[in-house]
Amino acid sequence: MEEIVLGIGITALAGALATVAGAAEDTESDIGSQGDPNSQVQLAPQMGYIHRIFNKAISGEPPAYGAWCVIGAGVAWALMQINFNPALAIILGSAIAVFVQGIYCTSGYLGRTASLAKFQQPVYIDIIKSLTSVTMAHAFVAIFCTVAMCYLMASALHHPFALPLLGLVWGIALGAAGSATGNPFYGKERQYQNQKFGAGVPISASGNIVRYAEAGQRSSLDNGWFTTKFAGPASGICFGLIVFLELWRTVLFEKLMSGWGAIIMGIVLILIFTFIDRWIEVWGRKTYGPYVTEEASS
Amino acid sequence: MTVKVEASAGKLPHNTLMIYGIIVALVGIYLTYLNVVTGVAVFSFFGGIGAIAALWWGSDTIKHLCSYGLGTGVPSAGMIAFGAGTIAMIAGTKFGIFSPIVTVILAAIIGAVIGYVANNIINMNIPVMVMSLVELSVVGALTMLGFAAMCTGTFMFNGLVIGGMTLSMEPSAAAAGGVQTFMVTVIPEFAGSLIGGAALAVIFFIGAMALQHPFNACLGPNESQDRTLMLAIEVGFLSMLIVAVMSFAFIDMMSAIVGLIVALLGWIYSYKTYIALSKRDAFAWLDSKPIIEVGGNQ
Amino acid sequence: MSALGGAAAGGDGINPTGTAVGIVILLVSIAATYALGFSIIPLIGIIVGGALIGFGVHFVPVGGAPAAMGQAPGIATGVAMLAAGAGLAGLFGGAWAYEATGDFAIAVVGGAVGGGLMMAITCLMVNATYVFAMGIPAASGKVDKDPITGDTFPAYKSQGTEGHGLPFISFFGGVVGGFITGLGGTLIYIELLDVYHAALPTIMQADPAAIEPLAVSLAGIFAIGFFLVNAVLAAYNITGTIEGPHDPKFKRVPRAVIGCAVASAFCGFISMLILVNTGM
Repeated sequence: MEEIVLGIGITALAGALATVAGAAEDTESDIGSQGDPNSQVQLAPQMGYIHRIFNKAISGEPPAYGAWCVIGAGVAWALMQINFNPALAIILGSAIAVFVQGIYCTSGYLGRTASLAKFQQPVYIDIIKSLTSVTMAHAFVAIFCTVAMCYLMASALHHPFALPLLGLVWGIALGAAGSATGNPFYGKERQYQNQKFGAGVPISASGNIVRYAEAGQRSSLDNGWFTTKFAGPASGICFGLIVFLELWRTVLFEKLMSGWGAIIMGIVLILIFTFIDRWIEVWGRKTYGPYVTEEASS
Repeated sequence: MTVKVEASAGKLPHNTLMIYGIIVALVGIYLTYLNVVTGVAVFSFFGGIGAIAALWWGSDTIKHLCSYGLGTGVPSAGMIAFGAGTIAMIAGTKFGIFSPIVTVILAAIIGAVIGYVANNIINMNIPVMVMSLVELSVVGALTMLGFAAMCTGTFMFNGLVIGGMTLSMEPSAAAAGGVQTFMVTVIPEFAGSLIGGAALAVIFFIGAMALQHPFNACLGPNESQDRTLMLAIEVGFLSMLIVAVMSFAFIDMMSAIVGLIVALLGWIYSYKTYIALSKRDAFAWLDSKPIIEVGGNQ
Repeated sequence: MSALGGAAAGGDGINPTGTAVGIVILLVSIAATYALGFSIIPLIGIIVGGALIGFGVHFVPVGGAPAAMGQAPGIATGVAMLAAGAGLAGLFGGAWAYEATGDFAIAVVGGAVGGGLMMAITCLMVNATYVFAMGIPAASGKVDKDPITGDTFPAYKSQGTEGHGLPFISFFGGVVGGFITGLGGTLIYIELLDVYHAALPTIMQADPAAIEPLAVSLAGIFAIGFFLVNAVLAAYNITGTIEGPHDPKFKRVPRAVIGCAVASAFCGFISMLILVNTGM
């Protein structure tokens, strides 16, 4: 019984860490403009729209966060092998991972922008100077929380995987969850703020991203504020739910029904989420209605 | 819509890069054998130099392959290279002093099979696919072998899986696998090793990121080969830095510090050169200047 | 993307010569494993696991860069890595279940359910973003009516786009995709783990309990390697974006399944080479 109570406590803590990690991850990838929405930032100069956005060209978020978290977890593991205190090891591991991430950010920006010289997109050094530290800070929160969560799984919940392997697995999952949830919000609502609300961006408008902000020229720094309005917390809830429910269904129900309890619980959860999704989809159709009336479209 | 992928005519032909890459990588990895000959681990960092040579060569291969329009983007090529390379590398380390050469052969065969599958079963029909995937698998395997040799001081299987020795008072019949010296048995312990502790996953993923980053970051009409290759070297030294930090858990402090200093100096030099090359190639290098409009929709 | 003088990629059909050679490679791998003295059941398991990963990736709805702007339906992430994320989350659960119960069926289905659960939550949050934060209902661009729910799409597609969000068929595809990739990944992991568990103590001359972390880590790293190879091959087959099982591109599945099976067979044979006692 005590073991289950401890397990639930660790699960709740891991879920909370995961929620913070998800929120920080999405905020970081929006401040730095990474992944699929970044293709618009790269396209804009080709269409003649010069901008001052941080064009961070580092693969997508899942492999990137897989890399940062595996570095954090690996260095933390190595330091723990030479008898560093676990908390200190995780902090140092995350710090080194963040240093690597910062270097990748700057090299990505410089590389892509220098290669767009033909379209007269200048390299703005002040963007690097002001934004790199901000992205690094958010990334530190995300990486630290993820590595700490992995350490809890390895040591307190006795998962068979070693710490670096857990870091890799959950880093990729973190990037996938945050990227899926946060990218449309940033891509449509922020980059194409000048398009009509409530509809997708028409193909003819590609590349015409918002470059002049409420006052002055848009800097990616403000994307942090914007992301925390919805996409950040939503990504946090997404990743937090994934981690929490994955651990919860195993810790509580693994021993029931000779092992099948966790699986039944997992299927029940999938069905619950399917119902909620269907409800959201129907609500959207009913509340917003069609863009054109049904007879006009057929 | 994404940035147009164009291949630039480089000053160094690809085959030259490949030959230099393979030779320097193999020589570098074999130089770590001096550790065995001399009994100290100071020569481990040569493995890192060998890995950087492989990455340097591999970034040009990725450029070649991705210029043909894969449809999925650059990072996936890095992932498949290292996925195949991992399997080849771990299998290749079982052959004692011939491990690096066997690894190259195994990786080449795996790359050929995967390339054949991609071209003829999945019908991608890209002329350079099979050769590129052969090269990429070899690059992946050599990079991992090089960094593993730098981290632990050896490229042989036993060195990568045995993390340390513990002493046991039980007679050797009960304590399996040990060497009995007088009353104490020395048992190898696996959880603290590079593979046993899954720290190899760190090398796997930082290598995968490092392989695809140079071309991905320098993508664009004004991509120049020397800048891309310098970024490959920079990102290689950065990975070497991480491996040097992790090596503190496996080799003695002095040798790890040597590796750390070599990596740091190499990284500082290559990073500064990369920034200088970006400055050379950029359209303009501005600090706190506004957007220079060129007139939208070119 | 510009293609530099490459021949046109094949259509949706299967290439007979390529497939025949592939099957030969697969049989040679099985024969070689048998010749080395290992049981071929684990290798069959690895082949099935690889084929399942290749199959499952096609179900996952991925819209790529246009989806990030509300121009195309699907999730706005790369195909290979999104599937890898789901499959690895499933592998996490499956590995844990295997260690806790030791039962093959429970572990494999547990891994599958883990992957499906991750995709269910992710797809739910994607729809929540589109509906509540962006005010855009879900609509598919490839079909006029949802095959499962019967919702009509043309009137709900905003002008100038090819659809947006995750219609129910795409959500269903996502969950099934996560389920199958989790299943495949966990299957590969467990087969490798069993093989290493059985053979490593003999060649390393060590206690089975002591060799456990090494076997787990080896199997885990190999599983991730297999995962990436198969997911990227499937992504090459999809060429970037797919809406789900209702997308016409889904007809390309057979050649991905064959391709992944061949690649996994050969890589599986190589991963057994570790257990050959070369005396080093």
